[in-house]
Amino acid sequence: MELTLLILCGGLAVITSLMVILARNTVHSALWMVASFFFMAVLYLLLRMEFIAILQIIVYAGAIMMFIIYAIMMLNLRQETADTEPVRKSKVVGLGMLVVLFFVLLVLGVGRGIEALKGPVTDQMMEKFGHVAVLSNFLFSDYLLPFEVVSILLTAGIVGSVFLAKKGKA
Amino acid sequence: MFDYVWLIPVFPAIGVLINGFLGKRIEKFNKSIVHWVACGAVGLSFLVTCIIFFQMLGLEPEHRFYEFTCFNWISGGVLQTYVAYQIDPLSMLMCMFVTGVGFLIHVYSIGYMAHDEGRYYRFFTYLNLFMFSMINLILANNFLLMFLGWEGVGMCSYLLIGFWFSEEANAVAGKKAFITNRVGDFFFIVGMLVLFCGLGEHGVWSFQFSRVFPNVHLLSPNTVTLVCLLFFAGCTAKSAQIPLYIWLPDAMAGPTPVSALIHAATMVTSGVYMVARSNILYSLSPFAMGVVAVVGALTALFAASIGLAQNDIKKVLAYSTVSQLGYMFLGLGVGAYAAGMFHVLTHSFFKALLFMGAGSVIHAMSGEQDMRLMGGLRKKTPITFITMFIATLAIAGIPGLSGFFSKDEILWQAYSSPHGHFLLWLTGAVAAGMTAFYMFRLIFMTFYNENRAPEDVQHHIHESPKAMTVPLMVLAVLSVIGGYLGVPHALGGSNRFHKFLDPVMGMGPDKIFQKAAGGSLHHVAEGSHVAAHHPSLFMEYLLMAVSVAIALIGIYIAYVMYVKKRDLPEKLAEKFRLLHRMLFNKWYVDELYTLVIIRPFHGISNFFWKIIDVIMIDGMVNGVARVVGWGSSVLRLIQSGYVQCYAVSIIFGTVALLVYYFLKIAG
Amino acid sequence: MMVDHQNIYLILSALLFVIGAAGAITRRNAIIVFMCIEIMLGAVNLVFLTFSRANQSVEGTFMVLFIMAVAAAEAAVGLAIFILMYRKAGSIDVDRFNIMKW
Repeated sequence: MELTLLILCGGLAVITSLMVILARNTVHSALWMVASFFFMAVLYLLLRMEFIAILQIIVYAGAIMMFIIYAIMMLNLRQETADTEPVRKSKVVGLGMLVVLFFVLLVLGVGRGIEALKGPVTDQMMEKFGHVAVLSNFLFSDYLLPFEVVSILLTAGIVGSVFLAKKGKA
Repeated sequence: MFDYVWLIPVFPAIGVLINGFLGKRIEKFNKSIVHWVACGAVGLSFLVTCIIFFQMLGLEPEHRFYEFTCFNWISGGVLQTYVAYQIDPLSMLMCMFVTGVGFLIHVYSIGYMAHDEGRYYRFFTYLNLFMFSMINLILANNFLLMFLGWEGVGMCSYLLIGFWFSEEANAVAGKKAFITNRVGDFFFIVGMLVLFCGLGEHGVWSFQFSRVFPNVHLLSPNTVTLVCLLFFAGCTAKSAQIPLYIWLPDAMAGPTPVSALIHAATMVTSGVYMVARSNILYSLSPFAMGVVAVVGALTALFAASIGLAQNDIKKVLAYSTVSQLGYMFLGLGVGAYAAGMFHVLTHSFFKALLFMGAGSVIHAMSGEQDMRLMGGLRKKTPITFITMFIATLAIAGIPGLSGFFSKDEILWQAYSSPHGHFLLWLTGAVAAGMTAFYMFRLIFMTFYNENRAPEDVQHHIHESPKAMTVPLMVLAVLSVIGGYLGVPHALGGSNRFHKFLDPVMGMGPDKIFQKAAGGSLHHVAEGSHVAAHHPSLFMEYLLMAVSVAIALIGIYIAYVMYVKKRDLPEKLAEKFRLLHRMLFNKWYVDELYTLVIIRPFHGISNFFWKIIDVIMIDGMVNGVARVVGWGSSVLRLIQSGYVQCYAVSIIFGTVALLVYYFLKIAG
Repeated sequence: MMVDHQNIYLILSALLFVIGAAGAITRRNAIIVFMCIEIMLGAVNLVFLTFSRANQSVEGTFMVLFIMAVAAAEAAVGLAIFILMYRKAGSIDVDRFNIMKW
């Protein structure tokens, strides 16, 4: 059951992602993107990461995609400009290299239990691991400083984007 | 008790600072302040020297040694070198006559340089700088400080030879002196280092005389010989011996007081001083002593022979100086260090006098130096004539004057000392005869007969001012009485001069080993000096008579040739044409050096310049620049400005890193 | 320790990463390039979560949390930049922007 769901949603995530990069129409791309985010969220759920899955939908599918669609509409970019210039060689080479990268990643990742930091998460906590309560316990104790730093980053992002997009002198 | 010894070099140094930095303004304001400062500085040095000298005379001979350390000069690991001065009979003797004669020449320069506008202060600055360096050379208690003075006097010599540098010949002469001296200095440095390292092997890391000399017995004989020869090679340049004497005759391009001070009385004798200072080293190496003696004797003869045919009054004196320096080295080489130093002393009196007299003559002749255009000056410049005549008698070795005692002692030692030989004596004696001849030739050509100068010059002939004649008279007196310091035993004297130097010179090889066995450094034993053993009193009288006879013959020939039958020189020159040409052209030594050394050197230098430097080194440097430029112009294309190209290169990098990581965990 | 079907997650994330990267280097529309980068970030998030699970660690989870925050900031600034580009050049075609070179 879980495996079926995993393969199904994974496959759909891959397909929708492919559609993002293949679609001619920018708005279509954006919509495929939303779909892709949803399937990703399902994958997170399958990993028992409920909070992250919900964030994924709220932040990505909600906020970021709103930005993007808003920008597309504002800039009137539904169609990509016509291909007048030949495709650069670097792009072809880059694609070839990406194939290599994919296999290298497979060789390196698949079948290996990659050692990482062993966390303070006990077996008992595992059941409720993705819950907000567990995460927030860590977030507001051990990860308080990064959390605050991120808030500063977000503030800087707001100020920066307002400054950049302001009419007039930029 | 001699803690104020540092005043001796400091006075001239102050003179240098005042005249060097403010001289131009002072000279504009009042010229006489310049020479008052300069002469005053040297005069005060002389005064302090006198005080120390006589204070030292009051001490027992074995206590006549004192070292005063001013400050730490070079401090690095085992090498600790101090600016420190050593007071002992030898250094004080040198210092006495260097500051004394130097003072007289400073005074003389006031008159001689009076007409040199605008450069007056510079001349006195250089002279004071020279005095400072020379005093450092003499008083130093270690080889490094001595070398500082050694280089300093060389530099001053260069500056003063080329003092009238607007004429190219003078500048060239200065350059020649400087470069020739560099050759010698190189050997001196190497010698110092060999000595330093050689002693260092035995744990004595020092340049200080009082530490080096008592330990030289630790060195192997070959090292000692090597050091001695290297030091002597340094001396051949500084003291104008074969083969590096060539710069001294050309050095006469400088003002005459300079010739008198630097190139006759003081600087050129520093080589003699250095050998005398290192007498312990030389005593350990009979071979090196032999070299010194032979080179000295040959130089004496060779230079005298050139002097026979020169017409420039200063050139004659220059070759005479080279020849007399040869005598001094002959004396040192046969182990008669005190005799050599004695000749240094007397020579400084009469040779300085001769040069200053010649300067007076040149002054009178409105700058003319060719003796063929002189003559008859006896009546017009009487003081110059009388004083120069005394000096000439002294240098010719006429009994009763200073030169006789010193020269005769050297000749006697050349014959009788354990290191001596009959041939050395013969060479010296022949050279003495030549000396008498050419010196009287100079006198006769200059002061006798009628004047051969052009009309307008003749009108100007006058006796020199007091500033010039007074030093002449003082030196004339010294030239007469200077010899009585060291009347030998054979003539009923007690040879005080030798006794005075004994604490320094008495260190024969036996003494050193005695010292090594626990004796005292300044222990003086009776009869330790080589002069002490007399083979035969009769022989001494005989040789003395012979050398006086040779001198008299030389004088007589000069009289015949240049006063009585004045067409004789021409005839002789005709008859012995080849010989005359050789002598007149100084045996073509300069030409030989040009051919053998300078030309190939130029060739090599040109090769290094045009091939090695321009093509290879510049080519390498420019080539690197060109390769980088070309490489950049190619690599520039990678930076396309397209952000996606950069993304591709990031992917490449990622793949490369991952592959590397994979290979690492796989391997 | 391994998560159930860990390899499938890893293959999926590798696939998504490469797809995203392929879009990022080929598409000329800056907004699509931007979206492709978001896909790549999602793929990375997936790996982080997988290993976070596998190693019973919260590190990976928080990494994902922060990546999301940074992505949000990036989106805000990035879109402002697109608006600027459009105003300056009338286009957001990344192939037209190559003035940053020597």
